[in-house]
Amino acid sequence: MTQIHLSAIDWAIIGLYFVFIIGIGLYLRGFTKTGDDFFLAGRKNSSWVAGLAFLSANLGALEILGWTGGTMKYGMLVSHFYWIGAIPAMLFLGLYMMPFYYSSRIHSVPGYLLLRYDERSRLLNAVSFAVMTLLMSGINLYLMALVFNVLLGWGWGVSMWVSAASIACYITLGGLMSAIFTEIVQFFLIWAGLFLVSILGIVEMGGIHEVFAGLPPAMASLWSTTGSSSQNAMGVTWPAIVMGLGFVLSFGYWTTDFLVVQRAFSSKDLRSARLTPITAAFFKMALPFIVVIAGMVAYKLSVRGEGSFVMPADPTDATKTWYDAALPLLIVRYYPTGLVGLGITALLAGFMAGQAGNVSAFNTVFTYDIYRAVIKKDASDAQLLWVGRVTTIVGILLSVATAYLAMQFNAIMDYIQAIFSWVNAPLFATMLLGMFWKRTTSHGAFYGLLVGMAVSFSIFLGFKLGLFSPATAHLITFADNPSDMTRNLWQAIWAWLVCFGVTVAISLVTTPKTDAELQGLVKGLTPDIDDSQVVWYGKPAFWAAVAFVVLVALNVVFR
Amino acid sequence: MQPSEPSREPLPIWFFVGVILLVYGVLVIAGGTLGPVRPTVLAETKPALWWGAILCVFGAVFTAVGWLGRDR
Repeated sequence: MTQIHLSAIDWAIIGLYFVFIIGIGLYLRGFTKTGDDFFLAGRKNSSWVAGLAFLSANLGALEILGWTGGTMKYGMLVSHFYWIGAIPAMLFLGLYMMPFYYSSRIHSVPGYLLLRYDERSRLLNAVSFAVMTLLMSGINLYLMALVFNVLLGWGWGVSMWVSAASIACYITLGGLMSAIFTEIVQFFLIWAGLFLVSILGIVEMGGIHEVFAGLPPAMASLWSTTGSSSQNAMGVTWPAIVMGLGFVLSFGYWTTDFLVVQRAFSSKDLRSARLTPITAAFFKMALPFIVVIAGMVAYKLSVRGEGSFVMPADPTDATKTWYDAALPLLIVRYYPTGLVGLGITALLAGFMAGQAGNVSAFNTVFTYDIYRAVIKKDASDAQLLWVGRVTTIVGILLSVATAYLAMQFNAIMDYIQAIFSWVNAPLFATMLLGMFWKRTTSHGAFYGLLVGMAVSFSIFLGFKLGLFSPATAHLITFADNPSDMTRNLWQAIWAWLVCFGVTVAISLVTTPKTDAELQGLVKGLTPDIDDSQVVWYGKPAFWAAVAFVVLVALNVVFR
Repeated sequence: MQPSEPSREPLPIWFFVGVILLVYGVLVIAGGTLGPVRPTVLAETKPALWWGAILCVFGAVFTAVGWLGRDR
């Protein structure tokens, strides 16, 4: 495909972004004195700040590019990842789980496992999370370099090292506060730089109705083609969407992944912490207005056979179409000088904020759950702060090393991207039982988590290496010739079920902690939240109800 | 005259968001009017001008809100 040529003013816009975020890091350096400042941004953020950061930590450019391209393949089904695949979990986190997390004054999600269970579960989760985060961070870097190499002709090392050095600089200086500031800037830049693509797409199509007009049913609806996996391009059925995506994967990610939950921990009080994911839910629901609309426009242009809109071949596999190029192609199509620079900056900011989120979560988990737990139990606050800063740099270097590894051995990408469902899907069962069933024991939690992760990994390997017969594959996924998406969803469902079952079974035959040890950590042993003094429009439950109504309405309208 | 106390809290994030949106709004308008012409679809709608203006308005509002909310 033709590379995008940038003018001086486009370069100025891109360069200004780097100057700006490093400047923010330098400015915030003076406000980062203690471990709480560095790792939890001083616990003084409002729900607006924490909520936008909560969403932005998840909102990488890869997701935007990937799901815009995904819409060309799967149509409206992509919206499931923004609606049922996110909102119920975010609301559940805010309403029911956040009180246990926030009130226990922990620094990380593994920290809750220590208080609720024991050191083994904490360490298992901390190590797996740290490895997952670094590898994902490396993949993010590699894919960023790939996108900018193909689209702009930038050398591989340039985008990787420049962005890695910038992130290392501002996180080392300002810690989580820097990460949160830049994530919020990124959130606004994504809307400023990419929403216009959808608007101009709608204008070119002749109106929003024209964007959806004439689409095949499998492209235009959320639910009506999910009765059978053969009716939609994603190859999924509604039970897999509801159970696998809407329950296990979604709850596993949004309620236990420290990358996002850390932003809520930075809130100034419990009410703000509970409102954090609920606030984020509204903005999450709005994202298909960039991603899906742009994807639909790209689909229509490619079907029309527009001369200037030809989807290129995948740079890593020439036999496939490179759908990730859809959004950049639309930028080239619509954006004049200046706006191109802003569009590229929005993508860069998205990549870098995702990186920064990974690095800030990694440095916290390593410092509190590995360094202080295993290496130096009596570390002072100053030492933890120092370790956090060093870990940031080491984490960035390991991410770059992973990126180079992915560049050399492209096949490892599939394994690394699957790590998420090995780690988070079973962890959700461990957390759910821990918070809502006081009979859950430390032995049950540890072995349940271990077996759940092993089951998830085994199913992944079984499909990857072709070890399953068609009958076994059907038994696992309830589908003939299951698609990759169906396999992923059922892999997560089984991991969750096995972890849940093993944890319950072992808990029933082992000794639980006493009620005194579980105060504040489990439902029934934690005082109910009294927000009777809060006005109705300030209550998390009110806004969660509004978000839920909007979610239902969107699903009805686009059913 | 007493030297003023150094601020204990950083400026609100909204100030930084406002500044960058404002500056980018100006640069986008400048790019659309002074920069080299790129042949784009819907060029006749002048997206750089009105989108840049929208960014400037949002940027100015956020900058003002952030500045007025400092140390609050």
